[in-house]
Amino acid sequence: MDNVKGKEKVKKAGTQIGKNPSSSTGKKAGDDRVFKVMKDVPRKELIGGGTFACAGCGAVTGIKFVFKALGKKTIMVNSSGCMTLTALYPFTPYKVPWVHLAIENAGSVATGISMGLKAQKKEKGTNIVVYAGDGATYDIGFQSLSGAADRKENFIYVCYNNSFYANTGFQRTGATPLYSETTSTPLPNVLPRKHMARIMVDHDCEYVATACTSYPLDFMNKLKRAAKYPGVKFIDLLTPCVPGWEIPSGKSYGAGKLMVDTGLWPMYEVVRGEFELSMKPRMLPVEKVLKLQGRFGHLREKGIKHIQNIVNKEWKSLNAGEYYKTHEY
Amino acid sequence: MPAVKKGAVGKGKVDLLDGNQVVAEAIKLAKVQSIPLFPITPQTEFIEIIADWKGKGIYRGEFKVLESEHSVLSAAVASEMTGARTFTFSGSQGIMLMHEIMYVASGTRTPLVMVNGSRGLSAPITLWPDHNDFLAMRDSGWLMMATETNQELLDSIIISYKISENKKVLLPFLVNMDGFIQSTTRTGVSVPEQKKINRFLPKLKLDVRLDVNKPMTLGLGAMEDYMFFKSQMHSTQLDSMKIIKDVQKQYGKLTGRHYGVIDKYKMNDAKAAIVMIGADSTIAKGTVDAMRKKGKKVGLLRLRLLRPFPEKEIRKALENVRHVGVCDQNIAPGMSGILYPEIKAALYGSRTTVSNYIFGLGGKFVSKEDFSKVFSDLLRSNKEKRAWIM
Repeated sequence: MDNVKGKEKVKKAGTQIGKNPSSSTGKKAGDDRVFKVMKDVPRKELIGGGTFACAGCGAVTGIKFVFKALGKKTIMVNSSGCMTLTALYPFTPYKVPWVHLAIENAGSVATGISMGLKAQKKEKGTNIVVYAGDGATYDIGFQSLSGAADRKENFIYVCYNNSFYANTGFQRTGATPLYSETTSTPLPNVLPRKHMARIMVDHDCEYVATACTSYPLDFMNKLKRAAKYPGVKFIDLLTPCVPGWEIPSGKSYGAGKLMVDTGLWPMYEVVRGEFELSMKPRMLPVEKVLKLQGRFGHLREKGIKHIQNIVNKEWKSLNAGEYYKTHEY
Repeated sequence: MPAVKKGAVGKGKVDLLDGNQVVAEAIKLAKVQSIPLFPITPQTEFIEIIADWKGKGIYRGEFKVLESEHSVLSAAVASEMTGARTFTFSGSQGIMLMHEIMYVASGTRTPLVMVNGSRGLSAPITLWPDHNDFLAMRDSGWLMMATETNQELLDSIIISYKISENKKVLLPFLVNMDGFIQSTTRTGVSVPEQKKINRFLPKLKLDVRLDVNKPMTLGLGAMEDYMFFKSQMHSTQLDSMKIIKDVQKQYGKLTGRHYGVIDKYKMNDAKAAIVMIGADSTIAKGTVDAMRKKGKKVGLLRLRLLRPFPEKEIRKALENVRHVGVCDQNIAPGMSGILYPEIKAALYGSRTTVSNYIFGLGGKFVSKEDFSKVFSDLLRSNKEKRAWIM
């Protein structure tokens, strides 16, 4: 794990960040990226337009990328949340099978689907993807996810992480970052984030990664790679939320990008326990992205400095490949 | 227990089986393809049987023990949605944890079959049977049937698959088995031949299902259309009565065991009658026999089908009875038994008096003498009474 830096020099990828190739690192020597440039991405959309999502919604964009990466032989499982409202009777934007039962059972619904398909010998070549919110993953649905991971069920679990119970009006979840304003904490949130990716690695999941919709190629390559591994594959996907983060809808993409570039959202993969950074951020001052978001609007210099200190400290561990020593991410 | 015509049983074997073994036999006959489960008393023996059968290759479908009942029912609904015939089995605290998904299962019109091993609800935590768990699911939109004997349990599971999977029904089915009284008591059960059941219950073919070659959006939200879906479910429940009767008739022809939606026991000229559900009806039937010998005109009406509620049939059976005692093995605290208001509503406007007796909560022992006291109560006066047998 210590030779991460060495590997970085092997190949400089970061194709999607054309302007700043230096800010990204390459993959392992055997480059298995399917999507190297945007041209490699299939044009066909498997989710139609006109959903009820907000303008600039990161989560809907995420679904689009999931389908582009995995193709039409995909069954998507949803848990109650923002993305449930994309399909309201009698309309549906989905061109692949899609199912929603409740908020806390996405892991077991995926289990049931794989049981049913196996019983009929139809499981081959079908991807089962869970697309559940952070509240449904970190909090209420954790049991079903943990159970599924324990049983080594075969599906990809994408947690679209907008870091709130966004659908109900931005209450705190286990994914809410430090000092973010929420509607369920009288003061800004003073509790650090739950380390979900690490928890999933501790479940012996063979593939665990974090991603962000503002880096679509990286996310899609991660999905492709995840599909190769058995068991539950977990991807924590940061999706900017326009009303929750209190950003202008046009800044949704940029906000996500800045979250990564400032180091607030590290992107990495843990494959069979081996940690690898997906990219090395430019380490811009966190103030840049915090000032952009209304939910951090109350922060003064002291608070910002505190967050910056935490980020710096955490990145020391991350750079050393010791992600398990981090607390915030 | 309906009379078995001689010779009608055919070559099917007759075995001494307890409730859990009977359920296992039934799902083997029904060729169930997928079973998610979570262990709970009194159903654990069933898990052991299926695990054993899976190991020996007797059961070839999918079988998994999940991490909670909530997950079990979620997985069962999802499994059924892919088009695999799915079964699950729970009871008591387990079915209470499933409660949320019970509504989802019926709302998504999933033709699933589940057996409820009835057991009193915590607190205080107990092991012995009563029907509060089963009847808590009354409004969930499932078709509901309560059985009395293990033979009836076996037949009901097979019948319920046939009904649920009917394209005009497509609703889940909940079959009740009394914990311990049925689950661990061996009785003679005639197991039908596989060939016969194959003809009766063909392979499941779902039109609306999760299939990558035919994408569909299932379990989606609705705003102003919500009421439309509920009205559809309600009218389906009402219309399914005819289908249920037809299927039971068909099954009767096949096996010689004829079931009705209600079970009338010596009701022809009865002046007083007990109305109840479940396995304790066998004890009450014994009381009826004993009292009939003494010349008392008493009878028993056992409800087999609870949803759809056989209102007309109940009214017809009880209209000419002077005094009816609804014996509830359940309690809606602050009101009465749960079945009492339903029977009263069915008899509204008739001259029949309806009394309520609560008995056997948490498996509290009830004897023939207890029921004979109820009958003498009913015969003595026409005054409505609400009492506890304890």
